[in-house]
Amino acid sequence: MEEFLSKIQENFIKTDVAFETINIKVESSKWIETHQKLKDEFDLKFFSWLSAIDWDNEVSTGEAPKETVSPSFEIITCLSNVSNNNLVTVSTTINKSEPKITSLVEIYAGANWHEREAYEMFGINFENHPNLEKLYLPDGYEGNPMLKSFELISREVKPWPGEVDVEGMPEESESDESVDG
Amino acid sequence: MVNTLDPQNFNNFSEASVSVEIETEDMTLNIGPQHPSTHGVLRLVAKVDGEKVHDVKPVLGYMHRGYEKLAEVRSYPQITTLVNRIDWVAGFSNEIPFIAGAERLMEIEVPERAKHIRLILNEMARISSHFVFNGAYALEVGALTPIFYAMEDRERVLDLIESVTGGRFHPNFNRIGGVKPAAGSGPTTKKDIQDLPAGFYRDTKVAMQKVIEAADQFQNLIGGNEVFKKRTKNVGILSAETAEAFGVSGPILRASGVKSDLRTQMDYLPYDQFEYDIPIGENGDCYDRWDVRVKEMIESAKIVLQAIDSMPSGPLQAKVPKVIKVPKGRTYVRAENPKGEMGYYIVSDGGLGPYRLKVRTASFSNLSILPLLLEGALLPDLIAIMGSLDFVLGDVDR
Repeated sequence: MEEFLSKIQENFIKTDVAFETINIKVESSKWIETHQKLKDEFDLKFFSWLSAIDWDNEVSTGEAPKETVSPSFEIITCLSNVSNNNLVTVSTTINKSEPKITSLVEIYAGANWHEREAYEMFGINFENHPNLEKLYLPDGYEGNPMLKSFELISREVKPWPGEVDVEGMPEESESDESVDG
Repeated sequence: MVNTLDPQNFNNFSEASVSVEIETEDMTLNIGPQHPSTHGVLRLVAKVDGEKVHDVKPVLGYMHRGYEKLAEVRSYPQITTLVNRIDWVAGFSNEIPFIAGAERLMEIEVPERAKHIRLILNEMARISSHFVFNGAYALEVGALTPIFYAMEDRERVLDLIESVTGGRFHPNFNRIGGVKPAAGSGPTTKKDIQDLPAGFYRDTKVAMQKVIEAADQFQNLIGGNEVFKKRTKNVGILSAETAEAFGVSGPILRASGVKSDLRTQMDYLPYDQFEYDIPIGENGDCYDRWDVRVKEMIESAKIVLQAIDSMPSGPLQAKVPKVIKVPKGRTYVRAENPKGEMGYYIVSDGGLGPYRLKVRTASFSNLSILPLLLEGALLPDLIAIMGSLDFVLGDVDR
């Protein structure tokens, strides 16, 4: 582990280790180059996952970040080695106005579905992807649900059946009284 | 007149018939979403030419429940309840990496007794998941009997999980810093908390012996069956390199000959204290994938028996604040689930809930290999190959 970490630190400029997770930060232009290098030279052949984070101070769901962040997408991949269990995460930041990055499918075939998920959930375009279409969402679905600006509006579209009835209880009518009499 | 019985002429005739090419069109065959072998609701659009499968396109999303979005508006203790439902066949195993991630960020040291209880229940969840696989897979390739044995034997394990946690499928038993006092122990006060129900050790020993017997029985009943062997040997062969590039993990990866088990890496559970083997396969075919899982059941039962004997005493909960706030930071915690690598990437901003929670599930990556495995396969093998991947759609769609 320590030997692996020092080798990572020699080869990449921006690395940090926090809570037992090694992270490498790269420019988005070096995305492909970095993954190729990690696969060939560092023997990280296992593609664990790819996903993204929407950084924004204006949010519609959840809590906003406490510090001011520049609006951007952070794309993260996780690579590991199945024999010695080395693991790194690689992250890059891309612009929100033109969200695009080169697809990793040619290096890691397993990136295919993960990139399709990120495409529909965040609206990130993966260039050179063989089949960039929606994975989970139905055809004709509009919007990217994992964006922080996307409201969790399922309850507005379809009212929750358990919602308390807003109509008041019916007042006691004369017919009820007549039962006693 | 040509004498058709003359061998010379006969040969000419057969050659002539071979050279005639019949043009065939691919037929599109829709499988699912409601099909018993899809373990949930998965739709496959298959292009077939006679009995040959040319192309398969899985259509996902019928079980998509949006856990990652829901996690944005939930607090950490609430998310534990949610993640139970990801892989419902092994609900307990889903909680482990999430809780461990929150504890790692909060820098909480969990008491040894709580760790042991977690480990025992985690292995029981693995056993019950593999029971379901054994019964269902035999059913899918045409054997009706094993599922009745499997369900009966699984119930014994589920009863044990229920006696401790109060739930058969969705235990929701882990708490940040430890485990909840057992449901079977009656009303609890702060001074007198009983964690495991009376007779738990005795019942577990009996049940684990039964698990080992059941696994032996499966090896004879299913593995010794000539029809089963013919249906599964040399069918759906997956090489280790392809599996790794696709992120295929767990028993499927081990069946391809890779000795990889994340239990050796799960430092938050005391797996290093116990002795167990990691079964691996040779060919990476359907038979090996089945074989590895049966052998794993025996190893898991052995781990539970050892853990019962060396159960430490002590508290169940570490000291945690009343309102759980996870400090700013991010971490990825993974675990060896019954179906493979499951992990949570938690990005915390110091709030009540995570800023972003990425759920990495085993079945998602394991299923992504399906189109490749089915290319050129025979139609009857489709179900045999699909079943051997042992996915659950809740684990795929999240």
